[in-house]
Amino acid sequence: MAHSNPSITPFGGFGLGLRAAHYDQFLGDDPVPVDFVEVISENYMSEGGRPLRILEEVRARVPVILHGVSMSIGSAGGLDGDHLARLKALADRIEPLWVSDHLCWTRTSAHNSHDLLPLPLTQEALGAVCDNIDRAQEALGRAMLFENPSSYLTFPEDEMSEWEFLSAMAQRTGCYLLLDVNNIYVASQNHGFAAETYLSGLPLDRVRQIHLAGHDPATEDRPVIIDTHDRAVIDPVWDLYAEAMALIEQPVATMIERDENIPPLSDLLTELNRARDAAGALELA
Amino acid sequence: MTPPPSPLAKRQADFMKAILDEDAPLPEGWGNSHTMGLSVYRGNYRSALMGALQETFERTARYIGEDAFRTARINHVIANPPSHWTIDAAGEGFDRTCAELFPNNAEVAELAWLEWAMLDLVGAPDEEAVSPQAFAQASAQFGDAQWLGLGLTFQTRATGRLVTHDLTALWQSLGEPGADRDLRGYEEPQGCLVWREGERPTFIMVEADTARAFDAVQKGARYGDLISLIAGDGADEAAIGDAAQKAGAMLGLWLSEGIVTGFSA
Repeated sequence: MAHSNPSITPFGGFGLGLRAAHYDQFLGDDPVPVDFVEVISENYMSEGGRPLRILEEVRARVPVILHGVSMSIGSAGGLDGDHLARLKALADRIEPLWVSDHLCWTRTSAHNSHDLLPLPLTQEALGAVCDNIDRAQEALGRAMLFENPSSYLTFPEDEMSEWEFLSAMAQRTGCYLLLDVNNIYVASQNHGFAAETYLSGLPLDRVRQIHLAGHDPATEDRPVIIDTHDRAVIDPVWDLYAEAMALIEQPVATMIERDENIPPLSDLLTELNRARDAAGALELA
Repeated sequence: MTPPPSPLAKRQADFMKAILDEDAPLPEGWGNSHTMGLSVYRGNYRSALMGALQETFERTARYIGEDAFRTARINHVIANPPSHWTIDAAGEGFDRTCAELFPNNAEVAELAWLEWAMLDLVGAPDEEAVSPQAFAQASAQFGDAQWLGLGLTFQTRATGRLVTHDLTALWQSLGEPGADRDLRGYEEPQGCLVWREGERPTFIMVEADTARAFDAVQKGARYGDLISLIAGDGADEAAIGDAAQKAGAMLGLWLSEGIVTGFSA
C-alpha cells in the first residue's frame, strides 16, 4: 500500500505525562518548564466535560501528544470503529504533535483485557498489524507512532525478533516508532537478549519519541520484571537512553512516564532534567 | 458455514480465556515457562479492573466495608468481563451486582447506581440549558394546543429512578472515610434525578411522581401526556387541574436546575 499520509516532522524536546494530580500547576500562572505534554488518549475521548476542557486549555499553552492504550492494532478481528472515530474527533479537536499507541493487542471480539498483551511474532500477525495500522492511519489522515511493548512471555510460533517485526511494520505502513527504552530493558531481561542488539536492529530514522519509566524489579519468587510506571527510572535504563540518543538522528522528543504513585511535579521535573543533561552531554561530546 | 478462526485469532481467544479464567487450560504449545508470564497478565487484568471499580464506587466501598466491597468487585468482574474500549465502562451494571449480593439492603444498589450515574455524566456532552427566562419568553403566547403538545429535551445523559432511601443524606455522610453513615429509609419510594451542573455532576431527591414524569419525558411524552400521567385514569376536571399545576411545578424545577436543553411546541 502506498503511504499517502504526511511524514511526521521531528520534534526535539522534553515532556511529561499530563496527570490529573498536576492539572492546577499546568494551568497556573507559572509555566511548567516542559516542551510538550503527553496524555492517555482514552481519558479524553469523551463528548465533553471538565477533562476535555482542561486538555484544551493546556493545549493552548504547550504542544500535546495523544498516546493511546486501546487501539489494539494486533487484534486479529480488526479495529474498533467507535474507538477510532472518537480518537479522530479528539485529534481533530486537539491538533496534537502526533498520535501514538502500542504494538500489542488488548481485545478479542468478545472481551477487552485492558492490558497491553504480546503478539506472536509471525508473518500472519505482521499482516494483521499492518492492515490495522493502514486502516487507522487512513481514518486519522495522519501517520502514527507505535511503541515497543514490555512483555512477559514469548510464543513458540515466533518467526522473527521483535526488532525485525517493528522494522517490517514501519517499512510496510510508513508508521513511526515510539521507542520505550525501559520496555527494551524489561523485555531484554525477561527474554534474555542484548538490549544493544535490539536497538541496533531498529530503523532508528523512524523514531520520533522516547519514553522513560520505572519498573518493578524481579524477585526470587517472581523472576520477571514488570513495567509499572510507578517509580523513578533506574541507572541501567538511563545508560541505555544515552546509548539510544547517541544512535538516533536528532531531534527526537523524550518523555518521563509516570502512571502510578504520582509524585509532586517538581520530582518529575528533576527527573526530566536528568534526560536533558544526558542529551546535552552528547551534544558536547 | 463459518470458516475456522485464523491461527492468530485462535491464539488470542485462548490467551484471553486463560486471562479471564484461572482454571482454563494453558494455551496450546505453552509450558511451565509461560506460567509466570501468564500470571503477570492475569494480575494486571484483575488489578486494573479492581482499581477502576474502587475509583468509581468510593462511597459504596465506604458503606459496605472493604471486605464486602472486594467480594462484590470480584463477583462483578467474573460475571461481567469487560468488552468496551474504556475501562471506565467496567462499572456498568455494578448496581445490579450489588442488588444480587445484598438483597435485603436496597440502599447498596441505589448508592452504586448513583455513583455510576455521576461518573457517566463527567464526560457527557457540554449542552446549553434553556433558562427559565428564555422559556417564559418563548412560551408567553402558547395556546392550549401548544402547551399540550410541548416536548422537552433533557441533558443527554441526565437520568433518574425511584429509590427507597434518602440518597442525599447517605451521600453526604459518606464523603469522608470513617464518618457515621446517615441511612434514612422512605415509607414509599421517592425519586432521584442526576444531571450535570456546568462541569459538575449533581443530584436531588424528588417526589416519585416527578421521577416518573422525568422518565416519561425522556421517552418522548409531551406536556399533555404528563398531565394525564399525573392525573391518572378516569380523573375528573379538578384532578386534571391539580395535575396541570403539578406538571407546571415539575417543568419549573427542571428549568431552574438547568436540566432542559431544548423544547418544541
